Amino acid sequence: MKRWLFIAAVLANLGFAQTEKLKACFIYVGPVGDYGWTNAHDEGRRLAEKALPWLETKFVESVPEAQAGPFIDKFVQEGCKVIFTTSFGFMDGTLEAAKKYPDVIFAHASGFKRAPNMATYMADFYQIYYLNGLVAGALTKSGKIGYVGAFPIPELKRHISAFALGIREVNPQASVNVKWINAWYDPAKASEATEALIAEGNDIFAFTEDSPSVIQTAAKKKLMSFSHYSPMHKFAPDYVVSGQLVHWDKIYIDFLTKVHNGTYTNKNLEKVDYWWLLGEKAVEMGGQAGMPINPKYIPALKAKMVKDRLTGKTVSVYDLVMSRWKAMAQAKPTFDPFTGPIKDRNGVVRVAPGKIMSIGELNSMEWAAPGIVGAWPNEPK
Amino acid sequence: MVRLEFDPNPPGNRVWLVMGLAVLAAIALSSLIFWSYGVPPVTAYLTLFKGTLANPAGIAESFRRAIPLLLIGAGLSLAFRSQFFNIGAEGQLLLGASAATGVALFIPLPAELKLVTMFLAGFLAGGAYALIAALLKSRLGVNEILSTLMLNYIAVYIVQFLVNGPWKGRSLMGFAYTEQFPAAATLPVIGGTLIHWPTLLLGVLLALFLQLILNRSTIGYELRVVGENLEAARYAGINIGRTVLMVAMLSGGLAGLAGVGEAAGIHKRLLDPAQISLGYGFTAIIVAWLARGNPALTIFTALLMGLIFAGGDVMKLNLQMPFRVVDVFSGLLLMFLIGSEPLARYRLKFGRRA
Repeated sequence: MKRWLFIAAVLANLGFAQTEKLKACFIYVGPVGDYGWTNAHDEGRRLAEKALPWLETKFVESVPEAQAGPFIDKFVQEGCKVIFTTSFGFMDGTLEAAKKYPDVIFAHASGFKRAPNMATYMADFYQIYYLNGLVAGALTKSGKIGYVGAFPIPELKRHISAFALGIREVNPQASVNVKWINAWYDPAKASEATEALIAEGNDIFAFTEDSPSVIQTAAKKKLMSFSHYSPMHKFAPDYVVSGQLVHWDKIYIDFLTKVHNGTYTNKNLEKVDYWWLLGEKAVEMGGQAGMPINPKYIPALKAKMVKDRLTGKTVSVYDLVMSRWKAMAQAKPTFDPFTGPIKDRNGVVRVAPGKIMSIGELNSMEWAAPGIVGAWPNEPK
Repeated sequence: MVRLEFDPNPPGNRVWLVMGLAVLAAIALSSLIFWSYGVPPVTAYLTLFKGTLANPAGIAESFRRAIPLLLIGAGLSLAFRSQFFNIGAEGQLLLGASAATGVALFIPLPAELKLVTMFLAGFLAGGAYALIAALLKSRLGVNEILSTLMLNYIAVYIVQFLVNGPWKGRSLMGFAYTEQFPAAATLPVIGGTLIHWPTLLLGVLLALFLQLILNRSTIGYELRVVGENLEAARYAGINIGRTVLMVAMLSGGLAGLAGVGEAAGIHKRLLDPAQISLGYGFTAIIVAWLARGNPALTIFTALLMGLIFAGGDVMKLNLQMPFRVVDVFSGLLLMFLIGSEPLARYRLKFGRRA
């Protein structure tokens, strides 16, 4: 009898606890075990669940783009109150669902369509690519830096241009040689592109692709590289100089906390667009957490002296990277790589003197910074 | 003594019995996998049942998946009956979707003619694409299994070229999609689902119509003779080349129609080829095969496959199982269904060999 009472009490308690919890559900485009985008979102989900005791989460992986709708239907049926869709291709499906379920809160990663109950969010790397560029420009011996790109879309064009701006700041003659592989995940193609770039004389590599393929191919020839998206330092500890890391949990925790305390409702998300950078700690420089630059390369960076174009003083590249990093890693950054005057590689002025590019301009950016060599689809004349 | 005896025309109830046993065997084996993953098999199957057959949304999803499978499967069963092994339905579907997109976005037409023209263009594009392989076969004796298979890759690259190049939409931040179709070029759906019913209706009607042609017309007769005995067909004066071309046009055309349905009913634009079709062109081979070359039967086998797909989604979502475990389950189910099919053509004989 006593045992039954105990069980009943436990069950009642569980029932009570469940009504208290906020249920957030995630729709992923890839498998959670990839080494990039989806894995990073899933890690953000797990960290958020750990950090927020009132949160309960659920996810579904490898969802084809057209199927966001049916999966959202199922999540809503199961009582999800907040639904995150984490691929650009889910945009229209998410918007339709937001109209169909006005009581549910939606958030769509990397898109630009919003509704009263649908926000957008993005963690962007352009500041880090600029910092990586400073490092790459100082370390290259051949003056040629290779870039393996996934798709020629504004996001990558922005990143490669920021990278090139950094490189040219410390090494005005250096070039960034770009090859597109037209895939987000294709280790074989990424490796082939790296081989081709090596044959053309490039000696440092950065990339956008969801595997450590570029790093491994470069390391085999004892060449340096920058890690992308996930901590890839461990794949070539001697050759990964730095890289870009993402922390989606910062956005998820902030968003869900604001939903939980009533700041965000299903009526006021029309203008909620997270564009989180270094200042919000949604992104980090480094090939693994806590290591902005591989210690092996710090002496070389400290030995290379350049003139800081902002202060006019002669400093080491290491100090330059650190001072720029500090200027960008605060809530109100005092430096932005896309501050004019900036001309594109054809000599056309793209950012007027003193102006800083807006988020909208960054998101639709099609031009290429000076120093970039290679095909550039949709390049404005 | 118990022995197996070949029976080329098994009675229907034995076929159903063997298929049922195959499903049970697959379920038993999958139970082991679910159990080793840490999900009690009973929970897994209850969830599966509740999410598909006992749930309107699950049934709707099965139907949605069945639409392209039905159209392609009906065409393929005809092709397989005449021994034209069209493995290129995936490519024909993609070409159909591309043709429909071209009409939807770039050809000014009165609203009421838009969809009809799209279906027509899709049929012709898919059919013409299959004709390439048929011509190579009838003129040069090129094996159509290889040529249709290889043409799939070319179709993938054609679509990639279109969505990355000339047809890329301007409003999509450089991502590889075309603009959305105008309203007049999209198919109506049954409320709250993604079932684009005009395509479904078209599929059912065409499957029945092809069955009628196959069983009751001269063309159907010629087609069956070509498939069963090429020498006899030649002796009977049947124009084999023409028959092959016609079958290719029909099966490719139906795959093209499936592409129109996916583009105008689901995506409302052209996009990355891997997202357009989800392998329907290949899965439909199984649909045609399970229907044993009867276009009308693909109505049921396509639904069965749709159900298996929808079931996979349910398990992925409700049990939080990795998609690969779910794929193993659908794979086992299919393997047992296909593997058991020849078994139905044997009967157990008791007693001594006569």
